[in-house]
Amino acid sequence: MIEFSGVNKWFGSLHVLQDISLTVAKGEVVVVCGPSGSGKSTLIRCINGLEPFESGRLLVDGTDLSNRKALLKLRSEVGFVFQSFNLYPHKTALENVTLAPIHVRRLGRAQAEERGRALLEKVGLADKMGSYPHQLSGGQQQRVAIARSLCMQPKIMLFDEPTSALDPEMINEVLDVMVGLAREGMTMMVVTHEMGFARKVADRVIFMDRGAIVETAPPERFFTAPAHARTRDFLSKILQH
Amino acid sequence: MLGGLNTRVMMEYLPEIWQGFLATLFLSTVGFVGAMALGVLACALTIQPLRWLRAPAVIYVDTIRATPLLAQLYFLYFGLPRLGIVLPEMLIGIIALSLNSGAYMAEIIRSGILSIPRGQVEAGMSTGLSYMQRMRLIVLPQALRTTVSPLIGQAIVLVKDSSLLSLISVVELTRAGQRIAIDRFMPVEGLVATALGYLMLYYALKSAAGAWQARNSIPGRG
Repeated sequence: MIEFSGVNKWFGSLHVLQDISLTVAKGEVVVVCGPSGSGKSTLIRCINGLEPFESGRLLVDGTDLSNRKALLKLRSEVGFVFQSFNLYPHKTALENVTLAPIHVRRLGRAQAEERGRALLEKVGLADKMGSYPHQLSGGQQQRVAIARSLCMQPKIMLFDEPTSALDPEMINEVLDVMVGLAREGMTMMVVTHEMGFARKVADRVIFMDRGAIVETAPPERFFTAPAHARTRDFLSKILQH
Repeated sequence: MLGGLNTRVMMEYLPEIWQGFLATLFLSTVGFVGAMALGVLACALTIQPLRWLRAPAVIYVDTIRATPLLAQLYFLYFGLPRLGIVLPEMLIGIIALSLNSGAYMAEIIRSGILSIPRGQVEAGMSTGLSYMQRMRLIVLPQALRTTVSPLIGQAIVLVKDSSLLSLISVVELTRAGQRIAIDRFMPVEGLVATALGYLMLYYALKSAAGAWQARNSIPGRG
């Protein structure tokens, strides 16, 4: 479903992605972690073309990312959830969710709203359809953002630190939605430090440092017997409490 | 100063003042439409990535903002005939007003567009919206909300700037007021009549802005 081969990216002289090769199969849930600045956000932002890269090849659902013309089509198949939600503040929750289905998928308004309502109910926001983003809590906004991506019926969902901007008591409401999605068989790549989430649903955990993939392992092995010193060092820092 | 205001003379000149008022209203309206068109175009050119399209727009905006309207007006008034282009004063005036205000409007619209957080544009991208759709559905509706006040402000400036057209013998509100001063040696009466006309236009614009904002505000957020 997602296939990186030898992908390199520089920000000026900074080598932010170093020779990345990685394959994610359909239905797989992959968690990406690593210290800040390790390139994990950049990695998943490449998958829907939000970040261009300089060399290597990236195939997503059979589409070569170097083909900029196919990008819009591809993006409509790949959902992306941001750390800062990025809802449209001038639109209600329901309008946020139905905007792309109406204008990209060309669904009729009634049909898009039906789909949107069902998704907002699914993420537990049946009573917030007509609310504007600023009237919602962070956790609620992030759930609207997830529904907004799902409303396009994507084949892949990407999450870029979806709970990092949330107050602690709101993290679980968002993670619950993501766990549900993983259990339904969605192909997911999730940048997160929520190790409970990784243990529960990840098929693999990837550890990145300084633009390179250091270690890839199933969650059990990743947490109990990491192979690399740098992984152990990182885990000891985030798991000590 | 206004104690002995000769209202009888002012009433006598009311038809002239009214004609001037209508002329100013016309000049300002057409000037505003022209300025908006130029402003949107210049703004669109300055924010797009192609350098050779951006350069003329940047030069236009900079030149206009750097020089006085009076100089621009005279430049067109005396310059165009040298190119063999002879136009009625009214039209020259409208062109000058549009060119002048358009540059300021381009900057106002640009700042409104740049105020929309990049993340929202990326959210639009990642659901497959095209550049034009992102502009039309996400960026412009919000940019418009933040720019209505400064745009109305610019329209108010434009209305007052149209008084400079009296200098190239366009008969508008200021010129009409000067008639009272010249014919009857009553400059204060002329100026008061003129000021009342501008005041009416000012309040019309101000209440239009208020009505627009009341209708288009996001509930609970303004």
